[in-house]
Amino acid sequence: MESAAKSNPRAASLPFIYTQQPVIGLSPEVLDSYITGNDPETGKIVIDEIIDALTKPVKEAKLEPESAKTPAGGTPRVLLEPDTEDNLQRLFYERGWTDGLPIILPTEERVAKMLTGTSRSPDEVVGEVFQMDTGELVKYTVANIAVIAVMAGAGSEHFPVILAIASTNQTALMPSTTAFSAMILVNGPIRNEIGMNSGIGAFSPVNRANAVIGRAWTLMSICWGYARPEKTLWSSQGSNLVYNNMCVAENEERSVWTPFHVDKGFRADESVVSIFRGWAIINSPGAASNRSLGEELNIELAVIPPVNSAATIILDPLVARNLKENEGFNTKQDYCRWLSENIKMPAGQYWKTDYIDMLAASEAYQGVEPYASWKKLPDDELIAPYHTPESINIIVVGGETSPLWKASDYRHTASESIDKWRANSDDECEDGSCGLPDEPVDYD
Amino acid sequence: MAIEARFSVMSPEAGIQRVAGEPPPFMGGPPPVMGGPPLSSPVFTRRLDTLENKTIYLVDIGFGGGYNFMLQLQKWFTENMPSVTTIVKRKPGRVFADDNNDLWEEVKERGHAVVLGVAG
Repeated sequence: MESAAKSNPRAASLPFIYTQQPVIGLSPEVLDSYITGNDPETGKIVIDEIIDALTKPVKEAKLEPESAKTPAGGTPRVLLEPDTEDNLQRLFYERGWTDGLPIILPTEERVAKMLTGTSRSPDEVVGEVFQMDTGELVKYTVANIAVIAVMAGAGSEHFPVILAIASTNQTALMPSTTAFSAMILVNGPIRNEIGMNSGIGAFSPVNRANAVIGRAWTLMSICWGYARPEKTLWSSQGSNLVYNNMCVAENEERSVWTPFHVDKGFRADESVVSIFRGWAIINSPGAASNRSLGEELNIELAVIPPVNSAATIILDPLVARNLKENEGFNTKQDYCRWLSENIKMPAGQYWKTDYIDMLAASEAYQGVEPYASWKKLPDDELIAPYHTPESINIIVVGGETSPLWKASDYRHTASESIDKWRANSDDECEDGSCGLPDEPVDYD
Repeated sequence: MAIEARFSVMSPEAGIQRVAGEPPPFMGGPPPVMGGPPLSSPVFTRRLDTLENKTIYLVDIGFGGGYNFMLQLQKWFTENMPSVTTIVKRKPGRVFADDNNDLWEEVKERGHAVVLGVAG
């Protein structure tokens, strides 16, 4: 921990003192023992260190961020030394470039073929990500993302979607001690062109497009440097949802409502990728048989206090159809308004939730409504924490074998056009294979 | 039978430009506000010769448990260094960014030192 703090130029000079962990949820007696106990980093008494830090000179340090130092050997090499399949697989893993699963080795030939999936120049910068922990700004090109796409097992037909994800400047691996996960949603014609699954088992590991697109986002995040334990990777437990980030397509054909990307202002014939992120997701274990869906969601969402009213609900087409045809919700927006008004929880339950206190209490102290009013309520008074219907996202996915749903605290963080990353239809490639699926790779 | 394939393969990190940077206006992903202006190299005020009769602000940054920790730290000073005045406050804004400088102005005016914490 200390080495991480001292390697950060934003914090290098600060006198850090560490207590035992955790601090949250402990009795006053335990906290007293932390104060008079040892700093786990130095072995010294914590209160003695606090007094020393206030009364003895601080040694000021001025460090450059790790990445700003000139790397040994200068510019990284584009090509690795030739070696055997096994050795190269091991090398990629040991250098921290993979998720632990075998990759497709990104040979020059395969990367060149991947690049036929877009009209963009290989040298064009797709985007950049900033790492708060290290002060690194990582910029990446179309060619960089092509390498990642090959490694993930993608074909050139998947590449425009992967580039669109990269262009959001978001990482799949959040530098948080909590366990974030995320979801990738694809809308528009490209879903069917590349064979994405939006029906039966859409979230199951059965579809190549869903699998490789989702994996590519994680691999690029790893290669941007987000998987370095105690430097950029802090999640105490992590989340295996990040292996492919719940990558899925919306079942627009079977939905009775407008597609998600149209809700966000895109044309229906435009292909769009959207990203959602949060902590908690509930797979409904049963249908709304003895209670209405609204009552079921009230129970489920009430145990996930939302940050800024955010929720994402993924409905099987059967559920959406029932809501429209039998319960009178003609649009998603109608249903979101109903949820916003009817999902309730006690104010005390809301405010005693760790991350709500951390992220929403400051709003209340500044007089921002409705938080300021909620802060004054008795613990048992009911509040409607999903106060902004526009922050509730409804998506239709599933194969109509059972009227089920998923409820989550995910918030929508980005939607980007895929079409602008496609290969122009009048582009030609030498062997005429542009946009066609790759041949299977033979391994020993 | 093992086939010895020989490859020249692309490095995923090759060509990725890593530079010292500042946070972009929006990084994506909760918490909603994360970032703020980058710090310049901090310059510290002169350390105190003694804490006797001084005022120390114990500032909770907003992570869970931080406020209660500061209350216990206040209790320690009350019992063991009674001449020290301690003031427990929660810092303005969210955990990752301040909304204003009101508290820091107050500390400059009324305080002699600050203990800031606790994270994690």
